[in-house]
Amino acid sequence: MTEGDYRHLYVVMEHEEGKLIPVSLEMLGEARRLMDNFNKKYSSEEKVVAVVLGHNVKKICEEMIHYGADYVIYADSPELEYFRNLTFTKVISQIARDKDLARKVSEEYSKTFKKPRYMFFAADSVGRHLSSTVLVELESGLASDINKLTVDDIEVTHQHKTAGKPMKYNKILEMYRPDFSGFLWTLILCLDNKNPAIEREYHPQACSIIPGVFEPLEYNASRIGEIIEYHPKLEPEDLRVKILSRNIVKSEIDFSRYKVIVSFGRGIKESPEENIKLIEEFAKELDAAIGVSLPISKKPYSVSERMKFTYMIPDRVIGTSGRKVAPLLYVAVGISGAMQHIAGIKESDVVIAINPDENAPIKDECDVFIKGRMEDVIPKLIEVLRKQHPKIRT
Amino acid sequence: MKIMTPPLNVAVIVKLEPDFSEGNVTYNSDGTLNRAETKSTLGPHSAVAANAAFYAKVKYGARVAISTMGPPVADLALQQAQLISNAEELHLYSDRIFAGADTLATAEALKTGIKKMEGKMDIVFSGHRASDGETGQTGPQTAWKLGFPFLGDVIDYDINLEARTVRAKRLITLQGFYDIVEEVEVPLPVFITIHPSYRPLFKTVSERLAFEKYQKEAKVRAANYKQYLKIFNAEQLGIADLSLVGLPGSPTIVYKVERIPKGKANRNAEMVDGSDSEAIRKVVIKMQEAMSRMVIR
Repeated sequence: MTEGDYRHLYVVMEHEEGKLIPVSLEMLGEARRLMDNFNKKYSSEEKVVAVVLGHNVKKICEEMIHYGADYVIYADSPELEYFRNLTFTKVISQIARDKDLARKVSEEYSKTFKKPRYMFFAADSVGRHLSSTVLVELESGLASDINKLTVDDIEVTHQHKTAGKPMKYNKILEMYRPDFSGFLWTLILCLDNKNPAIEREYHPQACSIIPGVFEPLEYNASRIGEIIEYHPKLEPEDLRVKILSRNIVKSEIDFSRYKVIVSFGRGIKESPEENIKLIEEFAKELDAAIGVSLPISKKPYSVSERMKFTYMIPDRVIGTSGRKVAPLLYVAVGISGAMQHIAGIKESDVVIAINPDENAPIKDECDVFIKGRMEDVIPKLIEVLRKQHPKIRT
Repeated sequence: MKIMTPPLNVAVIVKLEPDFSEGNVTYNSDGTLNRAETKSTLGPHSAVAANAAFYAKVKYGARVAISTMGPPVADLALQQAQLISNAEELHLYSDRIFAGADTLATAEALKTGIKKMEGKMDIVFSGHRASDGETGQTGPQTAWKLGFPFLGDVIDYDINLEARTVRAKRLITLQGFYDIVEEVEVPLPVFITIHPSYRPLFKTVSERLAFEKYQKEAKVRAANYKQYLKIFNAEQLGIADLSLVGLPGSPTIVYKVERIPKGKANRNAEMVDGSDSEAIRKVVIKMQEAMSRMVIR
């Protein structure tokens, strides 16, 4: 591997109806911070390259520069108007391997350019699949649902990668992935096989990024950068998925219609059926929607079919694995406060937690912490609410 | 007159996962999963995928094959998926060489196995994501290795056997925007991951009769699942390049697992004793103030 083989950070952007979706800007913000540190640390000038496909996308390219990209590579075609995995995978992979584009981004080392050093995708229903297929095409590794990133030089001893010997890896992207409980971080690395028996280079080091965790940069219209057009090479077979129609639908559970959301987590475990009934009663008093934490969607308790199919479903999940909400009042019942859940509720105006464990992380993420068992606290709250006249109805 | 239709071959890739149901799952005191004491079962999303294959059987008389990669005990997932789908063929890819595979190396083994199944596959189904790993990468990566167009988050599909095309509805969730139901048409073969909300619908009497017949048959087959089971090690599977599977074929490694440090407090909580009625009354007032605030966003 020569120094020029793998360069720059390519960020695959998503947009809808002529607007960049929030996670795209969040990825750009993190890409900017990461590469600024990278360039300082390694005295280099590698770039943040935003990649966008679509139809009539030229106007959002400017915006990407103002939000942190050094370069924007775009492909514009009616065939790219809507996301199709097959077509997009082909085009993104072409862009990632294109020496000519790399030369336009930076003359330095462009002759030996093979692929990007790093790549970011969004961990949403488009980027999750796109990242998977692109990384097969580019024959490299992918970590999904990342919420922390750093770059460092590290020494690794690995049975296969280094044949059991300690070896130095430079400029490694450290990709942290929270596990489903939200309490553990798995540090995932994408490393070349340096073992002579199975030698192979794995670049780009790629990940998909959880929406809502990184801060976008402030919009700055004085930031400058360059916009480059790419003309994709598409065969008829790359276009064999035909989109017949696209209809906007409202989720059955539309949290945005409610001023109040009451959510429950594993704290219902003592008597799940009765506790859910209690929460239903409480939510009715507040005219609130009911949400759940991620573990509940895995149907961890035996409850009646109605409870199971009404509440223990992914569509109810609030957090990075589900929906982000921003009600006026959020009541977390028996929710410990894993960071994935918190990321989904942080825009709420007032957060009240009901929990017997005052060491639960939710304590640092709420405005009022009611210490107690839900079985004791909720009936009291209901009683007071019922005494209020007139009822406050939203 | 009965129209002769070409046969349809479908496959499902499934996974044995921790059983998150009550009495089977055990958590450590720090809230993490106790893997040693938690039982295993067919993953819930794999079950949904098997259900989608069963739909193809009832509606189009499809032949169903199921495969998984894992240790010998993973045959439990195959048996459970057979009970759902009435599969004719079960594949288990089991070899020490496969251990420690990331999604890319897993996809290589699954792709090789699918190509060894009887008949040329028209549709391969997988679940939305595993409930333990939750990457959702193995499905699309297997699709790309097979050279099949990939359709994710499918909530409904139907096949035109004469034209050899599939029509599918996909649910696209856009964070910060809205959801979209997209209808697409693709010539077979195709790879489909099934959205968790998928429920097959059998409308006609003949479909319902076929449904009952196949369900009965599935019970008998699953009780004798070993008759349908083929176990392959890497060599039997015919993996051409052993450096593409298992640890050597995995670009990524788990370098370490650490506890997520507690972040700085974002809100300053007022502590309330849940048994103090007066304090509870004040909380309710606070709640009502919050609710009656003007919405200016």
